[in-house]
Amino acid sequence: MIGLGIESTAHTFSCAIIEKKGKKGKILSDVRKIFRPEAGQGIHPREASRHHIENSPIVLSECLSEANISVKDLDIISYAAGPGLGPCLRVGAVVARSLSSFYKIPIYPVNHAIGHIELGKLLTGANDPLVLLVSGGHTMLLSFLNKQWRVFGETLDITLGQLLDQFGRSIGFASPCGKNIEELASTSTNYVSLPYSVKGNDVSFSGLLSATKPISEKSKVDACYSLQETAFAMISETVERALSFTSKKELMIVGGVAANKRLSEMLKDVCKRHGAKFFVVPLKYAGDCGSQICWTGLLESQVKKSASLKDTFVTQSWRLDSVIVNY
Amino acid sequence: MKLIKKGAEADIYTGTWKNSKSLFKIRKIKTYRNNSLDSKIRRQRTIKESQMLSQVKSFGIPSPLVHFVNLEKSMIVMQEIPGKPVHDLPESKIIVICKQIGKLVGLLHKNGVMHGDLTTSNFILFKNIIYMIDFGLSQNTIKPEDHAVDLRLIKEILNSAHAKIMESSWKNFLIGYKSVVGTPYQTKIVKLVSEIESRGRYAQVV
Repeated sequence: MIGLGIESTAHTFSCAIIEKKGKKGKILSDVRKIFRPEAGQGIHPREASRHHIENSPIVLSECLSEANISVKDLDIISYAAGPGLGPCLRVGAVVARSLSSFYKIPIYPVNHAIGHIELGKLLTGANDPLVLLVSGGHTMLLSFLNKQWRVFGETLDITLGQLLDQFGRSIGFASPCGKNIEELASTSTNYVSLPYSVKGNDVSFSGLLSATKPISEKSKVDACYSLQETAFAMISETVERALSFTSKKELMIVGGVAANKRLSEMLKDVCKRHGAKFFVVPLKYAGDCGSQICWTGLLESQVKKSASLKDTFVTQSWRLDSVIVNY
Repeated sequence: MKLIKKGAEADIYTGTWKNSKSLFKIRKIKTYRNNSLDSKIRRQRTIKESQMLSQVKSFGIPSPLVHFVNLEKSMIVMQEIPGKPVHDLPESKIIVICKQIGKLVGLLHKNGVMHGDLTTSNFILFKNIIYMIDFGLSQNTIKPEDHAVDLRLIKEILNSAHAKIMESSWKNFLIGYKSVVGTPYQTKIVKLVSEIESRGRYAQVV
């Protein structure tokens, strides 16, 4: 079975084609164009959606030719229906609906966050993991129980990705800033005390963000180092709590911030202590991509009929713990 | 000393202290954490926990007796409660016990303390008495928002780890809680819990 997946929830417009045989999936192509705002600025939804509109034909045709597939070969089309930025989501949905109605291909709306998890499971081979989803849109600890992903802990305000991006922008980087911050942080070992806010299994980052900004006026490297150390220690502690509470023997990290090496290093240590296997999604597929949407759509198509065109809406607010998973 | 549990925060050993069987809770160094951050956290939580274990007894909350504290090693020596964590009990029993848990949490809040880590693993059933443990994240606070954070956490845990019995246990918890703090305060806190939930990422905006 061959599927096309379209991702456009935030800064990335991406199309991917995956061939599914049994439980295995082979990514035939995954093409993306990422909207880059000017240094110091965030993603403006209108500007990002314009970027997506301009790039969608290029990305789509590149994706098809790279996979050596014609539209007529596609069995299903899936698109990210939420959560995300409204104007951006609509671009992907329009592309998906157009193809679906013109070529009469079944269409599947997919939850973007579930996509991160499912693609992570496909690529890492994790079986029943505790999942840490860390990105610009999410910071959540999840485990699967009784047909739904259950939230064990999450951020009470901004996400880890937002924390890094907003701080990064305040010192002049362009979003996404995680990589720049990681590079600067690796050149310092001078820890400046910052607020550490763990509330049971939940975390709160907004106070940490405000407290780190003035420190960067004295030293950007110390600020980056201390910010990473504090935020990642908070995450690691909640992961440790959840591992101990759920007795899960696997941990999988997915989402854009999964690309950070220092975070992986800390979580590896946590897993060692608790005798859990550590899985991290490959760097190339950590950030938003069409593959995550495509694979989840293919999984859904095993158990669900495709959506009728009038039901192919987008939803800016769509929590992943409200999705019933039957595959 | 014999290691019996590697918890999230500390290692728990059993051993003898002045001829009585006791628990040794040691917050070991976490190598993944920055050194100065790590010592600060371990020190603060050891102090807080040992103080609170004693303080809550005066509210009428059963908790282990503290025998000795060694700050250098971040170690608390305390009475062993040889019961079972509520988390591991049969579901039908958890539903009933949630009422008692609600009462204990009510007592805690009434006396201006938040627990900070209300999970079903942190209540132990022994000889028909529920003991409250693990006060490392507790705080002296009379802020309703803080008390609501406590309730939200136990709700989240019921919703995730005990999903099948979520509704009845949460209902019982609130009955117990209300019986101690009174209806007006309970209503206020439950409203705050929904407020915190609505701040959550991608929560349905009504």
